[in-house]
Amino acid sequence: MAALSPLSVALLVAVTVGLAAAILAWRERPEPGATWLAVLLTGQVWWATFLVFELEAATLPAKALWYDVQWVGVVAIPVGWLFFALEYTGRDRYVTPFSIALVSIVPVATVAVAAAGDPGNLLAVDRVVRETAVGTFLDVAPGPLYYIIAGYTYLLGAVGSIPLLQLIRDDARPFRGQSAALLVGTAAPWGGSVAYLTGAIPIPGLDPTPLVFAVSGVAYLFALSRFRLLTLAPAPRRRARQLVFEQLHDPVFVVGTEGLLVDLNESAAETFGIDRRDAIGEAAAAVVPKYDSVRELAAGEADKPRAIPIVGRDGQRPYEATVREVVDDHGRTTARVIAFHDVGAYLGQQQRLNVLNRVFRHDVRTETNLIRGYAEQLRADPTDERALSVIEESAGRMLELSERTRTAGELFDPTEEAKSAPLPEVVDEVVAGVRGVDPDARIEVGSVPDVRVPVVLRVVLENLCSNAVRHNDAESPWVRIDAAVADGWVEVTVADDGPGIDPAEYDVLDRGTETPLRHGSGIGLWIVKWGVDHLGGRISFDERDPRGTAVTVCVPVDRSESTGGGRGASTLGDGSVDDEWGTLGSLPNAGR
Amino acid sequence: MANEPTSPSTTDGTAEQSRSRLTIPNASALRGIAAFAAGAPFTAFVAAVEVAIATAALGVPRSTAPVAVGLVAFAVYAADHVADAEGDMGSTPARARIALRYGDQLMTAAAVSYGAAVALAVVAGPSALALVLVPGAVWIGYASDWLPTVGDLAAPLAAVSVPRLKDVFLLNSAAVALAWAVAVVAAPLAFGVVAVDAVGTPTVALLFAYVALRSFVDVEVPNVRDVAADAARGVSTLPVAYGVGGTRRVLLGVDALAAGLLAVVAATGAAPRPVLVALAAGLAFSVAVTALADRLGGAALGVAPDCSYLVAGAVLLALGW
Repeated sequence: MAALSPLSVALLVAVTVGLAAAILAWRERPEPGATWLAVLLTGQVWWATFLVFELEAATLPAKALWYDVQWVGVVAIPVGWLFFALEYTGRDRYVTPFSIALVSIVPVATVAVAAAGDPGNLLAVDRVVRETAVGTFLDVAPGPLYYIIAGYTYLLGAVGSIPLLQLIRDDARPFRGQSAALLVGTAAPWGGSVAYLTGAIPIPGLDPTPLVFAVSGVAYLFALSRFRLLTLAPAPRRRARQLVFEQLHDPVFVVGTEGLLVDLNESAAETFGIDRRDAIGEAAAAVVPKYDSVRELAAGEADKPRAIPIVGRDGQRPYEATVREVVDDHGRTTARVIAFHDVGAYLGQQQRLNVLNRVFRHDVRTETNLIRGYAEQLRADPTDERALSVIEESAGRMLELSERTRTAGELFDPTEEAKSAPLPEVVDEVVAGVRGVDPDARIEVGSVPDVRVPVVLRVVLENLCSNAVRHNDAESPWVRIDAAVADGWVEVTVADDGPGIDPAEYDVLDRGTETPLRHGSGIGLWIVKWGVDHLGGRISFDERDPRGTAVTVCVPVDRSESTGGGRGASTLGDGSVDDEWGTLGSLPNAGR
Repeated sequence: MANEPTSPSTTDGTAEQSRSRLTIPNASALRGIAAFAAGAPFTAFVAAVEVAIATAALGVPRSTAPVAVGLVAFAVYAADHVADAEGDMGSTPARARIALRYGDQLMTAAAVSYGAAVALAVVAGPSALALVLVPGAVWIGYASDWLPTVGDLAAPLAAVSVPRLKDVFLLNSAAVALAWAVAVVAAPLAFGVVAVDAVGTPTVALLFAYVALRSFVDVEVPNVRDVAADAARGVSTLPVAYGVGGTRRVLLGVDALAAGLLAVVAATGAAPRPVLVALAAGLAFSVAVTALADRLGGAALGVAPDCSYLVAGAVLLALGW
């Protein structure tokens, strides 16, 4: 075996390191970019391998043969590089059979020309054997196709480098390291190629590109092992960020600077019954619920964040809107992201805590003081029947308060599955319950449509009816229940002939908070409000003539077992109701 | 005292239950190194010796073939041990632990080793290069999930999945044996740039058949040890299918065939006499190992069959070849 030329020895190092890196890359499949990195490295190894054959071949025809075989590796490198860069940085949607075929046209044509024996001297105008100190190789005078494939290689190389260069600017250190190692690995052969094309190599005719593949191999090996090139690829990050936007529980809208809707997530489309394809490009005011209130928020005109009631898939829910500006690299605002956060559960909890605190602080304390006072009186005069009955009544009220508190707790038991029942059945149960409270009560039931309603409505109506009977000073209290259905809503009115509810009581409900000076009595009306809020409905109070109160509860009809959704959204209560949002119509805006 | 378990049970202050079980204590570090050496490096050494013997048997000039084949063997076996580390936990726990702990480093070593083998082959010429690429290709079919993937692509409607070569009865061992035979017999020719005709086709064919038969035995004997693990994994081997007794009879039959081949070689004078003596010594050793297959310990059974080549090599050296 003849002694190897120095050039061949260097190339063998490139083969060893390059093949090792190719195997390690191949092993990482199906990590993003693994296959294409293996293609790139195999291309390098191929080129270096057959260059050694060319160097060691003795005759011009043999050298020419191995020179032509090298083209397979030469053209595979830029293709592998481009698709590796795209896949590795998460742009895998550009890596399709079509794009691969398209990009491969020029490389395949080049290989075909080489395989056909270079007809018309497209690749090489002239080939001579040149003996130099580093080895005996073929000195090729490039033909037109040679320049085309060289330019094409630089083009693909540059395009592939763009996404990787972006990684260098990334905050995450591993990705910067990976990207830097990759760029070193790829820049080295290009440097060699440029040096060859510009004639900067002192040995005429020597293309050092495959030689510097040893540098590339080391860089790639380093990136693979030290920076976990393929096991810690940034590819999922783009999709993960998109996924967070899409799968976020909160509805999110993206509104451009011109006030047109740019994007919305799945939750927004689903919650507010919006068709995404139709909505994008529309004026935000026509799509984004309560857009004017939200805009005030953005402009800082609103005093503080407040819950905006919006009717959506789950009836009326209070939402807190946040607006964030999307700012580009030049500090220009390009869009605003409006996110709606359903604060219903939070507000409900806050109210319950508030009210229960008041019950303990005020109601229980008052009753306890009463019992203690009359107990002392009993001690002084054990025959005092009145004191005894006051104590009994007071204890009874505390017991009832305790029962209702339990009811309130059960109402929001998160483990309970949302059940529904036909409205007539619910009303019958309520009527039976009220008869148990006061057998003398006259209870009328008007027309009750046969629709399914959530069973929580029974608790709401029970409290309303029993309050109407209990707090009625008439001999035989009168209560009437009426119901109607419209636009996906069921409206139930409970009317009585009692003394009426103190406006302060429902004023507190309306504000949603109690203070030591302004609070309701008991807990019954709160249970009614929480139940209605829970169902995404609304409650209203009307005075009757000549006396009495009519309380109207309006909740969405339960459709979970029939149509299975398709409800839309509408804004509520301000009269600017927009029916085009879906089949759950505007909330009947009854009275006070 | 009744509540003793928290007090230190050793002088280093650690209680038995709080000491890490993952750390390999110093005493067994040597055993770990031995287990590693008995794996891929040992196989690589055996491969190199085999190729050296084949070089002598064929009477071709010395070349880098033993080194290249050794490097390839190391790469293929190290990669295989890493790929199947979890499955090997039952049969070769020490080696499997090392493969799990140092999987990435072993793979890097295997990749560099294969790269170096290819570089050596590039120096030797195109036929050596083609040869060195063969075991790599077989390995892809042998251990990777490539074949099923290709099968799924090719016949999605037929709903027939091509099983991994490694899981196919007899074909698995036959493929490995053929790869060995190709490497061992063809490497001296390819690296020495000697045509088959120059050596004589009968000599090459006889040696090829001999190495293939012997390699088949060497692959199946350690399966006696792996029988439980292979059965659990659904890999069908001779011991899984026919039991230890049946396997011994089959393998002794194969060794008898190999002995017949040696007799033919001796009769035709196809190989130099010292080489024949060395191969016969190796074969005798192999028959002994096969006969004792169920009585040898797990670790011994892993290396014993391959030692027949070391015996043959030693005899060859002793005869002054």
